[in-house]
Amino acid sequence: MEIILNDTVDPKDLRNFRHQYEDQCGRGVPSEKAQFEYAICLVRSKPEMDVKHGIALLEDLCKRTHDSDTKRDCLYYLALGNTRIKFYEAALRYCDAFLKIEPQNHQVRDLQMHAKKKLRNEGLTGMAIVGGAALAIGGLIGMGVAMAKK
Amino acid sequence: MAAGPYNYSYIFKYIIIGDMGVGKSCLLHQFTEKKFMADCPHTIGVEFGTRIIEVSGQKIKLQIWDTAGQERFRAVTRSYYRGAAGALMVYDITRRSTYNHLSSWLTDARNLTNPNTVIFLIGNKSDLEAQRDVTYEEAKQFADENGLIGDNVEDAFLDTAKRIYQNIQDGSLDLNAAESGVQHKPAQPRAALNNDQVPTDKGCQCATV
Ligand SMILES: Nc1nc2c(ncn2[C@@H]2O[C@H](COP(=O)(O)OP(=O)(O)OP(=O)(O)O)[C@@H](O)[C@H]2O)c(=O)[nH]1
Ligand SMILES: [Mg+2]
Repeated sequence: MEIILNDTVDPKDLRNFRHQYEDQCGRGVPSEKAQFEYAICLVRSKPEMDVKHGIALLEDLCKRTHDSDTKRDCLYYLALGNTRIKFYEAALRYCDAFLKIEPQNHQVRDLQMHAKKKLRNEGLTGMAIVGGAALAIGGLIGMGVAMAKK
Repeated sequence: MAAGPYNYSYIFKYIIIGDMGVGKSCLLHQFTEKKFMADCPHTIGVEFGTRIIEVSGQKIKLQIWDTAGQERFRAVTRSYYRGAAGALMVYDITRRSTYNHLSSWLTDARNLTNPNTVIFLIGNKSDLEAQRDVTYEEAKQFADENGLIGDNVEDAFLDTAKRIYQNIQDGSLDLNAAESGVQHKPAQPRAALNNDQVPTDKGCQCATV
């Protein structure tokens, strides 16, 4: 799991995907594909600011997409991004939302186990911030449940 | 030889590529955990696994990146090709479309890896012989036309490593080159491996089923 979490995007790739996304933004609403590609590069970027930007783009995409696979993948990368910036509680909520849809997914289970362990070891630092984030996430989890029932 | 975490002399980076659902993740799990996963979900982005193998008495650690075959990951997973010493290219013998797409996977593999990268072609799900949709003969022909050779699925990981190791020994793979996909552990003396830069033909280093 550490390897996946420490695997960072090549800055050149990040730049390419950013150009693509920003080009589309300039012409109107960006395609889901461009937003997804840019966002998952951002959450794998080193600077925490990039990861947070990626998380925001994924949250937005998760809300606007009608494709259940895209939603599922967004939940995973939201969990991954939050784990990378040590927002373990938020990460675990996204893991839960995902596992409601696909209980056996080993990629998410591994991530969940990792985040749980980190949370235990590193304590509840950042609790206050996470408390606020939890409200926003509640909506997304509701959506996850709706998908699961479909 | 040093004990502990460095009880291997080389690290080889592998990638597994091919259409979604052809069984890439199953191959990885089977190889790294020796168990078959009956119901594999689609990979999200990329999965990772390692295993230490032995080639000519040398312990080699394989670091394997298993990429998602779904189209929406195609662009972002391309970055994992860089610096791969070995690429396992997989299709499903019961689904012709996965075979037809091989040329596009091969193009990516050739363009994004170095000339020494060993490419191994795997026709997976050969247990489903009754549903076979791609004959052995045509796969063999595709392999020959592209200068590929090779044999069976079980040995894909090992045979690829043997080929890479052979390239190191005959000097055609320069370990100091960036993106060779091979790391030499410093604990081990270099054993005069890359002293003699014997010029070798830069033909395709491929293997197949
Ligand atoms: N009969 C048979 N089924 C297999 C074999 N290998 C994999 N499968 C099945 O094929 C399906 C897809 O396998 P995966 O390993 O998830 O495929 P993948 O290539 O990783 O797919 P993506 O992650 O979407 O790219 C699973 O349901 C497996 O159980 C095999 O050798 N024989
Ligand atoms: Mg897979």
